[in-house]
Amino acid sequence: MLTKEDLAKYPFLDQSAAFIEGYNLTLSDLSAPAYSGIVGRAVERVRCSIEGGVSPLQLGDPETEILSYPLALALVYASRVRWLVNRFATFEAKRCEELLKMETAPKLAEVAKASFGWRVGMEDLRLEWERLTFSLGMAEYLEVAPQFHSPSWKLTNKYVDRGRVFLDAKDFARLLAENLKLRIIRKAGEEGVKDFELPAALQPHLGGIAGLLEGKRQLYEDEFPDGLVDDARPPCIVAIMNDLSAGKSLSHMARFAITTFMLNVGESVDGVLKLFGNVADFDEGKARYQVEHIAGITGSRTKYAPPKCEVLRSFGLCAEPDRLCATVSHPLNYYKRKIRAGSGAKAPTGGVAPTREGMRREKEKEKERGREGGGKGAQGRPR
Amino acid sequence: MHKVVLDEFRGYYSRLPAEQLDVKDFVRREYALLHFGDQKMIRHLKFGGVSELKRSLVEGVPANVYYSSAYYRNPQADDMNAKGWEGADLIFDIDADHIRTDCKDEHDTWACLDCGCRGRGFPPDACPKCGMKKIDTVTWVCEGCLETAKREIFKLIDDFIVPDFGVALGEIEICFSGHRGYHLHVVSEGVRGLTGDGRREIADYVRGIGLDPKEHGFRQVTGTGPIVGPDMRDGGWRGKIARAIYEFVSGRSQEELRAVVGPVVADNISKSREKFLQNISDAPPHWGGMRGYSLESLLKIANAAAREHVCNIDERVTLDVKRLIRQPNSLHGKSALKTARVSYSDLERFDPLRDAVAFMGGSIKIYVKEIPRVRIGDCEVGPAKGTEMEVPRALGLYLLCKGAADPRV
Repeated sequence: MLTKEDLAKYPFLDQSAAFIEGYNLTLSDLSAPAYSGIVGRAVERVRCSIEGGVSPLQLGDPETEILSYPLALALVYASRVRWLVNRFATFEAKRCEELLKMETAPKLAEVAKASFGWRVGMEDLRLEWERLTFSLGMAEYLEVAPQFHSPSWKLTNKYVDRGRVFLDAKDFARLLAENLKLRIIRKAGEEGVKDFELPAALQPHLGGIAGLLEGKRQLYEDEFPDGLVDDARPPCIVAIMNDLSAGKSLSHMARFAITTFMLNVGESVDGVLKLFGNVADFDEGKARYQVEHIAGITGSRTKYAPPKCEVLRSFGLCAEPDRLCATVSHPLNYYKRKIRAGSGAKAPTGGVAPTREGMRREKEKEKERGREGGGKGAQGRPR
Repeated sequence: MHKVVLDEFRGYYSRLPAEQLDVKDFVRREYALLHFGDQKMIRHLKFGGVSELKRSLVEGVPANVYYSSAYYRNPQADDMNAKGWEGADLIFDIDADHIRTDCKDEHDTWACLDCGCRGRGFPPDACPKCGMKKIDTVTWVCEGCLETAKREIFKLIDDFIVPDFGVALGEIEICFSGHRGYHLHVVSEGVRGLTGDGRREIADYVRGIGLDPKEHGFRQVTGTGPIVGPDMRDGGWRGKIARAIYEFVSGRSQEELRAVVGPVVADNISKSREKFLQNISDAPPHWGGMRGYSLESLLKIANAAAREHVCNIDERVTLDVKRLIRQPNSLHGKSALKTARVSYSDLERFDPLRDAVAFMGGSIKIYVKEIPRVRIGDCEVGPAKGTEMEVPRALGLYLLCKGAADPRV
């Protein structure tokens, strides 16, 4: 049985939505002074997610807890800042996971069913040092688990039987929380949410949130310096580029990976084509068409992203992963992190503009060296 | 393609009862045709029913016919977004080409396109002489290859699909691909919504990718304490690993064990093999029931043993959420054999080189360029080179489609 307190703890439950509907409120109604507490709590939720603080649950006032959640989500979606959506989703998932860990097994199962409709089995499988008390349908497990990168989450390493995946309480709570995060993030792309406008009366609160975001801009700016920064390349990309320099013929996936990577870090189509110039079966016309297609200039106009680490691993393209590799799941994240780390040391102010400028200068120097030395790295090689 | 092949293909499709072209949710599938001599498929076709598809096959006589594993709102839309993806079957592809078999030495050859180096058997990743990766291959399939592929599909169903994934036999369809292997379609509602990431996990599971025996219970209690591990009766890879070790240790010679764990441990285990096997099959098992090996050695055996229980699927097919896959009962343009549906209960007896033959009776005169031994139905020919012969129609069409023969009048 779910109580009002449960709804406050887990405001994403279907019952919470029903509870809110009972109030028959519109978003505009919330701007009335009578609801300032709810608005204040919603803004607080968003602020905490941005600043990384804790937002203690106010169980003394469950109504405010429940009603402030959808408003906080509305503020987040209306900001149209993807970083904030991710941040808020992560924050809510963490909060939820902590609470779930303290629940009894039947309550956990009830929350899973009432929030995501999961068909949870109550089990009692005792292994050497663990007790698996839950089972979940494989398809449901696979909706969420691929988000985790620890080997223990791989289906291969799970106790599986007749289409069910067995889990202990801790992992089950984690999975549930991660699913909440995924749902919040996915919803941002849905029709009606992606271009959601907040009622005018609530706009000022959005302004306040934008102010908070300004201070974090450096964290969520996705832009890279123009052109490839050699030192920030992940080992897999270095390996493919080495193969290219050696004139080796690449697999389709390797070509796709290097092309998408280069285009995504801001290299031009010509820059990418230069890379392939060394390969024996190079046909510029054909290659240009393919690279332009991948860049989204021709064809379906979809700009492709490089494959993530998992895909590269499956295709045998993950080469000599280093320590940073263990912490990322995408080669572009590696690149981004390396650039950020590099810039931290070089740019005294740590500002955005000097950083990029710094990296660009580095690259220029690299080019110079390439020209002088007769070709080091991708840029300096003759075609 | 030779006129005789086109005529025979057209004849086949004219005689084919249209309902044999039916697939689940037919109207929600995209169709694609590849014509003889073309590189590019004609895609984004939608057919209102099986008769309409049959008409198109009789008129166009394509070399190969494909339908989408995916279900779409608008299968005919050429833009993926407009197609409206509504789920997809889960497909497994087992291709004898990807499996190392001894018979490949008898019928396959490869050549390096850079230096001209040649060899027989399974092609190397890179040329052993010049190191380049452009390798041209001439491959054939024999009963041995197809039997290996069949054993693999049994392994897939009996060890993974049914016991681990919980899929009922009524929810799978097995097809001989018409050339070198088998396709398995899981058509249950439960798998339709799986994302590419989810499908990758399933492909990795079957291939044993990322498998870590330590995650399945192998541990040493407090550093030097007893070794604990999984029970053979456990589910998933956990039980599989335990059973694999039993099989491995009971079936290997001392010499073979030495290659995995070194001489000392191998000798210790070999000396007390019976006791070791008894210990690990007890309930609960006693992995540390005797001295003479460490947890590390046990993990080495576990990894080596588990490798023998993975299934050789082409993972690209499984993880694709919108794969184009061969239409059941259509002809394969490289063999003139049909993509034949086989029920699980008939699979053991199924002989693809007889039961997937689409042309009965008649004979054709051909000029054979170069072939290894080839059997279709009851007729066997080759090895042969530069010779004329009259062969049964199905065998003749097979060789013509393979490009190894020309028609003679």
